[in-house]
Amino acid sequence: MPTTFHLYQIIVLAVSFFMLYQGTTNFFKGKSGQTLFKLLVRYAVWGGMIVVTFFPNITFLIAKSVGIIDNINAVILTGFLLIFLMIFKLLSAIERLEQNISELTRKEALKDLPKNNL
Amino acid sequence: MSDKNSRIFIVVPAYNEEAVIESVIREIQSYHYSNLIVVDDGSTDRTAERLSSLDRVITLRHRINRGKGAATKTGIEAAKLLGADVIVTLDGDGQHDPADIAKLTLPILQKRADVALGTRLINPAGMPWHKIIHNKLGNLLTWYLFGLWVTDSQSGFRAYSRQAVEKINTRGDRYEYESEVIREIYIYKLTFKEIPIRVRYTDYSMNKAQKQSFCNGVRTAGKMLWKLIA
Repeated sequence: MPTTFHLYQIIVLAVSFFMLYQGTTNFFKGKSGQTLFKLLVRYAVWGGMIVVTFFPNITFLIAKSVGIIDNINAVILTGFLLIFLMIFKLLSAIERLEQNISELTRKEALKDLPKNNL
Repeated sequence: MSDKNSRIFIVVPAYNEEAVIESVIREIQSYHYSNLIVVDDGSTDRTAERLSSLDRVITLRHRINRGKGAATKTGIEAAKLLGADVIVTLDGDGQHDPADIAKLTLPILQKRADVALGTRLINPAGMPWHKIIHNKLGNLLTWYLFGLWVTDSQSGFRAYSRQAVEKINTRGDRYEYESEVIREIYIYKLTFKEIPIRVRYTDYSMNKAQKQSFCNGVRTAGKMLWKLIA
């Protein structure tokens, strides 16, 4: 465990604790869509961030045990690329949905047209 | 109504324009244009109520707000279904002077152009300086992305021939729609004329939240770029 913390570590800790707090309260308030599985995933992701912040060397141990210690940069780069592709696909899907919504809205509006007379 | 005007359809997209929509429509009607299509783009104020009190106006309503481009397109589709020969689009906030409709439709009726683009920047007297800069940046981006230089790529006051609207196919729902029309003019090699128009910048039109602000301009530019790669 480090004796001094950098600013980025403090920020990561603050964000992680906030996300865990929010997930826990949402779950116990019974908000819609908050399942136990989602809560566990949230704990795994943000809890993992907290663990890494307190014990940064753990990432090397994990990389070593998995066998990617020499290729860690390639793994990180591939991760970024995958995330970029996912964002691209998501934005494309949103764009398509937006256009479909507009088209439906237009069709519905034009249904009234024959009833109107100048 | 003159025979010439009976072939002209005016499309007015309106979103939360309860304060001015009645006067805008009455002013257009005072120039003897009776084929009016107003698209209420999911207004949350009393725009729909105001429109229902008007005679000789076709009112279409978007159940939810889809943006100026989407509303304009709905109006144009309606005009096509009603057999329009010439379609004019103008804003619902009263900034466009209906007296200029005749100037815009003239080259279309005389078959000298497929599209007439109202331009504020040939004679920008009275136009706020930030609007001038904003529009020039819009022109530059439109030219860079779509390959056609026009003096006012963001103007919503335009006239189209029937042939032009049959070809023009836009995807933009919001303010990027105006630039997409320029792209379509370029792609389909439509003939166009730029017609100087008068714009009335009132406190009302300048203070509306959904108008082209700097942030909206950045968002519009982002959407134009996105549509090129998506």
